[in-house]
Amino acid sequence: MIVHGIELEVLSAGQGRPIVLLHGMTSLAPSAAFPRLLAAHGSVVAPSLPGFGGTARPKDFDTVYDLVHLVRALLDALPGDAVTLVGLSFGGWIAAEVAAAGHPKLARLVLVDPVGIKISDRQTADILDIFNRDPAEVRAAAYHDAPRFAPDFDAMEDAEIVRYARDRDALCLYGWNPYLYNPRLPYWLPRIAVPTLVAWGESDRIVTPAYGRAYAGLIPGARFEAVANAGHHPDIEQPEALAGLIGAFLAE
Amino acid sequence: MQLWFHNENTYPFVPKEITDAATSVRASLPGHLLDPRIAADLFHECMDESLLCDDVGINIVSIEHHSGINSLYGASPIILGALARQTRNVRILSQGTLISLRHDPVRVAEEYATADVMLRGRLDIGFVKSGDSEMASNNANPVGNLERFWEAIDLIAAALKHTDGPMRWEGKHYTHRHINLWPRPYQQPHPPMWAATGDPETSRELGLRGMVNSVVLRGIDGTKRAWGAYRAARAEAGLPEPALDRFAYAAFVYVGDTDEEGVEVGSKLLWFLNTRLKQAPQFSKFLPGRMPPEMAPQVYRTGPRPGETRVARPADGLIGMTAEQAIQRQIMFAGNPDTVFRQIMAAYDTLGGFGHLIFIGRSGYLTHKEAEKGIRLLAKEVLPRVREATRG
Repeated sequence: MIVHGIELEVLSAGQGRPIVLLHGMTSLAPSAAFPRLLAAHGSVVAPSLPGFGGTARPKDFDTVYDLVHLVRALLDALPGDAVTLVGLSFGGWIAAEVAAAGHPKLARLVLVDPVGIKISDRQTADILDIFNRDPAEVRAAAYHDAPRFAPDFDAMEDAEIVRYARDRDALCLYGWNPYLYNPRLPYWLPRIAVPTLVAWGESDRIVTPAYGRAYAGLIPGARFEAVANAGHHPDIEQPEALAGLIGAFLAE
Repeated sequence: MQLWFHNENTYPFVPKEITDAATSVRASLPGHLLDPRIAADLFHECMDESLLCDDVGINIVSIEHHSGINSLYGASPIILGALARQTRNVRILSQGTLISLRHDPVRVAEEYATADVMLRGRLDIGFVKSGDSEMASNNANPVGNLERFWEAIDLIAAALKHTDGPMRWEGKHYTHRHINLWPRPYQQPHPPMWAATGDPETSRELGLRGMVNSVVLRGIDGTKRAWGAYRAARAEAGLPEPALDRFAYAAFVYVGDTDEEGVEVGSKLLWFLNTRLKQAPQFSKFLPGRMPPEMAPQVYRTGPRPGETRVARPADGLIGMTAEQAIQRQIMFAGNPDTVFRQIMAAYDTLGGFGHLIFIGRSGYLTHKEAEKGIRLLAKEVLPRVREATRG
């Protein structure tokens, strides 16, 4: 799919109302279960953002500003006039930015363990710094059941590891400083004018459920739902439960 | 040939059980482990070693690193300023500013212009790309580091050259509305510029710009690759062949009265390799932007797959090296004056010559007294012979 001249790697599934799914800190694996489960509730379009997965990054495209404009252009390009935007983790930040800015086609918003805001004092990080902490600590913080779900580089194929490394580079480029948040976003979140679901892995220690409740509290009328037995990636650890939660929200 | 004394001002006095247990001795050891009284002694000893060099005709490298027992020189311009006032004769190479990590290159240009004026034109400016834990210590994005490196160098060169009133800069990484250096540098249009790299792609760009390419501890093969790329880039662009003063080779050097003394004391320098290079995985193998993603499979896995050979970063091969191995790989020259002369000339001949030899002459537990003895012997017994042998 080409948006604003950028050839996006896109995972598509399902039919019906358009659902844009933005990946998190890593791009969605082609074999991922969650997009297919979500497709029971609409026509899912899941792009790999530039630099992530199989999408090349145009020269000098290296800010969240670029990503927000790209997602807005993607919404413009989709059929229909009522799009649901689902953002996981890093993609949740982008989705929240798009929703705060407003888009005429945006009908519903789902944020799953999003990053993007700062709430604690200046010497306390809200978001575990994956570029500054021991990988073993990050791994334990990111999953409810890390041994089962965390990436195992020794078992992964070369292409999967290359993809993972590309994702990590892209995330670092966009999110290094301030670390995965926009200091001004909390001020603008109250502008979000569409029904919003904020879903959170109960065991998430990259960004805790308390942070999630504060996040939801800044969005008018947003509903907070915990996902049991999941960490920062409910789409990986509890794909059925998460898809079910979103499906129920869309049916309301 | 010009000789340059390089000393990182290391602080080896943290108990070994602590450094052994630490995942990253460079960036993360708590500050309470440093005794400021010992640090004060070290700063003065190192300054005295530099002043000795000034007396015996050896140039001085003023270095910058962040942050830990591997080097107490984080605030490089302060050391450069002290050297600018205290020395009288030799050239000072600031190599260097970790330029892609400094948030305001205009300020760096101002520091350099000031130092060059104080030195009455004895300054050389060397840039270092940096990486690893220094990215965290300086809060600098490791992705895009090289882009910032070149833009910062362009900006500093432009700021130093510009003498016609306020200048503007609106680049990708740096913007400034009013650049107008006072004082302007002593040397016109600006002091000679160097960069330290063993990366052939970076060396190519240095070749095109005519900057001095210093190569630090990459041994003969790594140095050949870098300088080969430098020469090739110039040839392809139709530029004249570079003079030997465009190339600097850096190695550990210790001269004793006897071979035994030279090697025994010189081997203390290797502390530098075994300690300073140990870094936590998030600052090394998992640091974004550090290598092409295509290399990640070999680097991320805990071990190579059957039939695979491991690709290591240049520094990995240096950890745990013995004096004999370091001498054999020609990253250390150690022994009596005759031996060291022969070792230097062997490297010189193998590499097709170089105009500068940077010698790491103090590190780790090598004492101030030992360092001064090595400097004196090198200046008196070796340097004249090297100069004679490499003349013309």
